[in-house]
Amino acid sequence: MPRVSDQVVIVGAGETKVGKLPGLQSVHIQAWAVQQALVDCGLRVSELDGLINLDPYAVPHSMFSSTLSEYLGLKPKFLSTLDVGGTVTGMTMLQQAVWAIEAGHCEVVACVYGENALTARAPEQRGLAMQNLMGGQEWEEPFGVHGMVTPYALVAQRYLHQYGATVDDFGEVSVLTRRHALNNENAQMKKPMTLEDHRASKLISSPLRLLDCSLVSDGGGAVILTTRSRARRMGQRFVSITSMAMRATHSSIAQLPDLEDFGMREAGLDAFEAAGEGPEAMQVALLHDAFSVSVLITLEALGFCQPGQGGNYLRAGHASMEGRCPLNPHGGLLSQAHIGGMLHLTEAVQQLRGRAGRRQIEGARRAVVSGNGGVFSVCGVMVLEAN
Amino acid sequence: MSTSYQAVLHTPTIDSIPFWSACNQDQLLLQHCAECETSFYYARRLCPHCGGEKISWHQSAGKGTVFSFSEVAVSFFGPEWDADLPYTVVLVDLDEGPRMLSRMLKQDQARVSIGVRVQVSFVQVHAQKLPFFELL
Repeated sequence: MPRVSDQVVIVGAGETKVGKLPGLQSVHIQAWAVQQALVDCGLRVSELDGLINLDPYAVPHSMFSSTLSEYLGLKPKFLSTLDVGGTVTGMTMLQQAVWAIEAGHCEVVACVYGENALTARAPEQRGLAMQNLMGGQEWEEPFGVHGMVTPYALVAQRYLHQYGATVDDFGEVSVLTRRHALNNENAQMKKPMTLEDHRASKLISSPLRLLDCSLVSDGGGAVILTTRSRARRMGQRFVSITSMAMRATHSSIAQLPDLEDFGMREAGLDAFEAAGEGPEAMQVALLHDAFSVSVLITLEALGFCQPGQGGNYLRAGHASMEGRCPLNPHGGLLSQAHIGGMLHLTEAVQQLRGRAGRRQIEGARRAVVSGNGGVFSVCGVMVLEAN
Repeated sequence: MSTSYQAVLHTPTIDSIPFWSACNQDQLLLQHCAECETSFYYARRLCPHCGGEKISWHQSAGKGTVFSFSEVAVSFFGPEWDADLPYTVVLVDLDEGPRMLSRMLKQDQARVSIGVRVQVSFVQVHAQKLPFFELL
């Protein structure tokens, strides 16, 4: 498994405001995120010659990279629209940008993810209004399964059974990331949360309660990549992508494998092997947290702790800001905003550039980012390093 | 507790017409690959284990073990489902091998747990019989 690149680096990252952004459509939000990322590294829009974006979920488009490119006034040499799943989409954008730059197609690429998932939905809608299909509906909907909560609830129930875990283990994730979000001024959730709040929150699909579920959000995030030599000339602190690995095992919950066969474990092994470092060498972990249980499974799959010990790992304080490897200091999908995990990547970049403000982790040199699309269907792990 | 069942039905595809037609005859069919001797679910035009194309339909005994379950407490399908709440979704490991997503019959749903034995039970919803499960 090769390392990703020594010659292409990340020089900037930006995010829009998150929460409800009424009146803004996906193209406006993605353009705003690109502008923020460019401001972050002192580049102008006209310097972009590559653009990679997400095809929005709430209101799907065709050829959305050209839509955004035209809106921004670009005439790029490389365009692509991606949808792999969750944070793996963002990681794949970065990977593709590296390949495009290394192959000489372009020199400055913006990778952007964002949409109006919250305000685009009808008032009575529960969860994200998915106007595009994921496949598998024929084997899910006749049995009362729609969306992502029940699929993850089936995973969560099995997790409790298999490892003798408790729903308070789930609550530890939600409480921790809420505490972190309160330190992030650009977070959707502003109120503290206790374990008791978690226990008392509305049951959605057993064993998952409302406070086990990530948010639905408007917002966007973007990352700028260029060559190492140009980054040096720009005088910016930059970040290298040390490794990335992906594993896809299925798509629909109707094809769920055993928990120990989820692709996260192998993706993590590959990414850490390529990086030459393990979880113990990471100073910050940005783990995809569509649901609380996802974080426990991922911590365990990546080797931060033994299977079933995720709750105890959190109770021991290892994932707190002062712990050995702070987890989702921005608040994550559970408490900052659900921008498909793109803000996990922007947060990793800002932590490694020393620009995370009051939530800066002192001396953060290496970050691990995990992603999973679907229901642990497509898993990805990326290791990033400060320069 | 309501005894009516809601379901969103899909138009069967060229792959799945035999499966859904058999359900209407109270039969649960699985595809079997002659090359790797594996049964699989859901219906498709090649074996997902080996890529084999010698595929035939066989009747399942319809018995299995619950791998996981979830009691769904809110409607994801709009207010007309509220009378159907709560209902219990199950992942069943069929004795022939495949894992199958389904629903429990109402009278059994509160007593389901991981590891219990279940068997298929067909429930008419609109124009289709659906392969739900009951406790064995």
